[in-house]
Amino acid sequence: MKIEKVKKAIVPLSKRERKRYILFEILNAEVAEKDFYFGFWIDLLSFFGSKGLAEINPKIVLFKGNKAIVKCRRGKEIDLIAGTAFIQKIRNKKIIINPLLTSGTIKTLKEYAKIE
Amino acid sequence: MDIVYTQPLKELLQVSTYFKEQIVVLVTNEKDEKVAKQNSFIPCYLISDNTPESEIQKLSSKKKAVLGGSIKANELAVRLKADYLLQPSNEKQFFDLGLAQKLHDNNITVVLMFEELLKANSFERHQYWKNYIELVRYCKMKQAKFVVASGTKDPLLLRPPKVRESLAVLLGLPQGKAKEYLEEELK
Repeated sequence: MKIEKVKKAIVPLSKRERKRYILFEILNAEVAEKDFYFGFWIDLLSFFGSKGLAEINPKIVLFKGNKAIVKCRRGKEIDLIAGTAFIQKIRNKKIIINPLLTSGTIKTLKEYAKIE
Repeated sequence: MDIVYTQPLKELLQVSTYFKEQIVVLVTNEKDEKVAKQNSFIPCYLISDNTPESEIQKLSSKKKAVLGGSIKANELAVRLKADYLLQPSNEKQFFDLGLAQKLHDNNITVVLMFEELLKANSFERHQYWKNYIELVRYCKMKQAKFVVASGTKDPLLLRPPKVRESLAVLLGLPQGKAKEYLEEELK
């Protein structure tokens, strides 16, 4: 049987779901990118549950140094920021996640954090 | 404004500089009070319903926080006109509209010490949230102040003001109020 590739329909910009980007700073310890992905996800999942986390729809867009940019659904920024309070340790390193700025574009956050 | 228990102040000073906010340290004796003042923290005496009356009388002109959790403790906070009522529980309906009104009249702030939530397992956590959602509803109705504080003995468990504000919003407080209560300057 031949598998045919079906092109995904492109959703027009005006009909796409709105999103927000949040810039977080990781204080106290240096964490590897992979560990951060895992730790971030596990603690949020235990707090919000599967449905809650699906509604927030967080995605780590960029991780550089001790800064991370996380994408989420618009209107759910507060939930995401509150959820980060429960992240205490990543790989047995005690950390504090500090939200610095929320914006609609990555560009603003990159400029603020001086990330190229 | 954040509230923490007495702890190694050097480390606390180091971590707290990140967040640039006033920190209230809960103390139990004059020695701790002096050290807190020297490090430019605001000392606040921690009182529970077991504290002898003679000791309470000595603290008339100082900042006071009462550890809640029982009817007796809640009434003590109102009687003393304390600044903070810490960690009041509502499992057995100790916190009601009448108390919220009294807290508002005496300008007492209700404080959720966040570290307690971190210690709890998922079932206990659910109980905490249930209690506090109810408590915030009462506070909101009677306009009593409610804040979420770090409430920790470990400086690395301090939480930034933005995060604590978001937690208060999740508990049901309007965002404007949550921010206003947290940003209040203490003298």
